[in-house]
Amino acid sequence: MDDTTLQVYSLLFLFATVVLVYTARFFHARPGRRRRQRQIAGFEQIPQWTTQSIESNRPLHLGFGGAAVGGDNTPTALAGAEFFHQVIERSNASDASPLITMSAPATIPLGQDTLRRAWHKGDTLSRARWIPPDLAYAGAVTASMAIDEPTAHIMAGRFGAELALMLDSASRHGQPSLAVSDRLDGQAVAYAMADHVLIGEELYAAAGYVAEDAPARADAAVLDVWRVLILLGAAALLLLEFSRQLAVISLPLVAVAAAVLVLLGVISYRRR
Amino acid sequence: MGRGSRVGMSAFVAFIVGVAAILSLLLGDNPALFGEQPGSDELARRLALPGDALLRLVVIIVAVSIVIGIANLLFAHIGRLAQRKFTSAVLLASFGFTIYWYVTRQGDTSLLEAVQVPIESSLAALLFLSLAQGGARVMQKRADIWGMLFVVVVLVVLLGSLPLAELAPVKTWSDWLMAVPVSAGARALLLGMALGAIVAGARALLGQDRSYRG
Repeated sequence: MDDTTLQVYSLLFLFATVVLVYTARFFHARPGRRRRQRQIAGFEQIPQWTTQSIESNRPLHLGFGGAAVGGDNTPTALAGAEFFHQVIERSNASDASPLITMSAPATIPLGQDTLRRAWHKGDTLSRARWIPPDLAYAGAVTASMAIDEPTAHIMAGRFGAELALMLDSASRHGQPSLAVSDRLDGQAVAYAMADHVLIGEELYAAAGYVAEDAPARADAAVLDVWRVLILLGAAALLLLEFSRQLAVISLPLVAVAAAVLVLLGVISYRRR
Repeated sequence: MGRGSRVGMSAFVAFIVGVAAILSLLLGDNPALFGEQPGSDELARRLALPGDALLRLVVIIVAVSIVIGIANLLFAHIGRLAQRKFTSAVLLASFGFTIYWYVTRQGDTSLLEAVQVPIESSLAALLFLSLAQGGARVMQKRADIWGMLFVVVVLVVLLGSLPLAELAPVKTWSDWLMAVPVSAGARALLLGMALGAIVAGARALLGQDRSYRG
């Protein structure tokens, strides 16, 4: 595929996403409309953690890691900020301001802005803390677990293997954790060591699960639509390839098999 | 200007800048998009200009933000010192002394290497232990088929990486695991994240992100 074709496809894909976002927001904004979302286990603890934070007057720790505004992971930082905004709004009755940490300096304004918009009791500048990246970040967050005694840790952003140090320390302090990373090594560590984990794109849909915010729910629905379309496309391509290789398989049979596969996929997807 | 107008204005500016940047990056520097007409090279070059200018601005802002980061760190620890948390004094003193050392010794970084490198190395060693412990605890946290599969795959890959001739069959399995299921899973994860990034990007592009919605 040459550059020109790729650029045209990119534009079409982006345009389709924009149309889908607007369409989903239009339908979700209608009164009385509330789409049933698939269950994601990672989000179920958040209401409990915010309640604990309020009752114990201990902060929640929200970590961006290395997610940076201006870098290739800007959407990760923005999705994390949206997620944190919804979590902070839920814990507003607490006296302890949430603690936001980041290791990318360009994310400091984003973190402070998130805290300022969602937290209505002041003290927002000093609670968004920059820490040097990688192992230094892990070391500082580990130290703050003993000093600030957070109720829980929500790590949503860019993390590598150093996430293991933080999750291990949180576990030893009896502080529960939820983690997701846009890096594969960090995601593997999160899966193995966090109490609760989000996988991949669930971070981008997180705000729609934590809040009753219609636009955020609409965005989560758009993600699901794209995912189903890609699954359908991949299944269809795979089966067509099989049908070419095995002469006994007819196209109607392939279509029925594809429909069954997709149905099974949808059922298991909703049960998760 | 009222708050509503400010929000509307920031969303409008975000929309204009976002659309200009994306069109510039996608259409710029590619004359083939405009056919064989005369002047298509010039048009493609001009279309690339806004994107280039915005990217340069980003680079400058990111560079400045490092200063903001250091200031944030210092202010946070000065605040803690004011609350009689004297461990912050160690950080502030180290910061000041390192700057002094660097300036007075014409860029000598031996102090940094003598302190920072051993500390980071010991943290890396600790990280290895944490990872090993985490791997061992997977079955406590996830006592299901997926947790078991995770542990089995880790064991096969670890054994396969050992340089022992007796473990050659395990190495074959390990290579297959890395080349087929792990690669497929990694691609699926990356694909999902790319989709999420596109939706988040489209939201920011339309000025619908939280920062613009007020």
